[in-house]
Amino acid sequence: MGVLIIRITLNRVHAIRDDWSLSASGTLDEGVHLVSGDVGSGKSTLALMIAGLFPLSGGSIEKEGITSTMLSLQFPELHVTGLTVAEECTSWGVSPDDILGTTGLTGKRDVSPLSLSRGELNRLHLACILAKNHDLLLLDEPFSSLDCEEKAKLCTRIGQTSQGITIIFTHEQDTHRANVTGNYHYFHPRAGDPSESYQDMGNCRWYAG
Amino acid sequence: MISIENLRYRNLAIDALTIRPGITTVIGPNGSGKTTFLKICAGIILPDSGTIVVDDAPPRQTDIGWVNEYPDRNLLFVNVADEIASPLRFRHDTCDSVDSAMKSCAETMVITHLLTRTVRELSGGEKILVSLAAALVHHPTVLILDEYDSHLDAHVKEKNEQIIRSSGAKYIIRCTQQMDTATQSDHVLFFDNGRVRHDGTPDQVFPFLKGTAYYPLLWGC
Repeated sequence: MGVLIIRITLNRVHAIRDDWSLSASGTLDEGVHLVSGDVGSGKSTLALMIAGLFPLSGGSIEKEGITSTMLSLQFPELHVTGLTVAEECTSWGVSPDDILGTTGLTGKRDVSPLSLSRGELNRLHLACILAKNHDLLLLDEPFSSLDCEEKAKLCTRIGQTSQGITIIFTHEQDTHRANVTGNYHYFHPRAGDPSESYQDMGNCRWYAG
Repeated sequence: MISIENLRYRNLAIDALTIRPGITTVIGPNGSGKTTFLKICAGIILPDSGTIVVDDAPPRQTDIGWVNEYPDRNLLFVNVADEIASPLRFRHDTCDSVDSAMKSCAETMVITHLLTRTVRELSGGEKILVSLAAALVHHPTVLILDEYDSHLDAHVKEKNEQIIRSSGAKYIIRCTQQMDTATQSDHVLFFDNGRVRHDGTPDQVFPFLKGTAYYPLLWGC
């Protein structure tokens, strides 16, 4: 029985909006990857493209061995469907008791998720997502609004991921210094023709401008 | 001075606190009451009891610039230009002065390329920059920023730090999870469980936090 390969290949994918464009090529193998870059460089757009939620203007994305994909949006409030914190946990198919205990939100079981502070909501949201395994996990700005201790915990938790591909899209490069990721891809905005100006980053090339 | 006495709101309790002109940074764990405190300073919510006055006036009679920690909760209008201009239009400035001030503010913040965009098209960081422009365009007395920097890269953050410092706002009250940013303040408040546990200059507050995740990285080098 052969070894199952999990891999994503981006073949000169690009997206164009008015005078802004984004292009990317490269191969992402199993492990944790960090995509970083400045505000507006296209990190979230690339996450949506890989998730299949943003139309490609050209190129293609090949996914091998991926049967489950999870995208955590930059704004956790956009994921909320439950009227209470407990309902929100249930909507993700996880036990409220388990999640609330680990996130320190036990006393907020019956309040609206949208009444939580943004840090608390992000903590709840990530706990629900990380409670399950995903072949492809896309985390868009997962550290946003988390307090210092929770950021450290999340780095540890992601570092323990033993299977699948995890891609962290963030402007916070401390995660790289903390050795959370094995692969680092900096997304650098610059002007020029995207068809000729890919940026070489190891086995990946990224471009946005 | 901003003076707070015997303030109570839900689990937030502050017996006495004075905030001097300059930059005050609020730090602490998620859910410790930081956002609630900022909302009371902004007059968005009123305390259950106690008082808060900004130079002898309640917050609701003070010019406030506010940036919410939820980027989308800042935005009222479809277009970026309308969003930035809105505080000036609400106070019935003339069309010419509104247009001039809006463009000048966008130029200062280097976001003129966003003026023709809709807010829906913006990235999270760009939404925050537009929100900050709308908070600054009317030159508020008090500028309140709730973790606005959690959406910004280091380069943009540094640039905006200078803009905020030169904005002319008498009081800048901000919340952050970036402790190295907090060290660049006149006044630091550490919140925990609805209480102000530490209050003073960075040199006075951070020694209490040594050994915790709230101790500035650069101070540990």
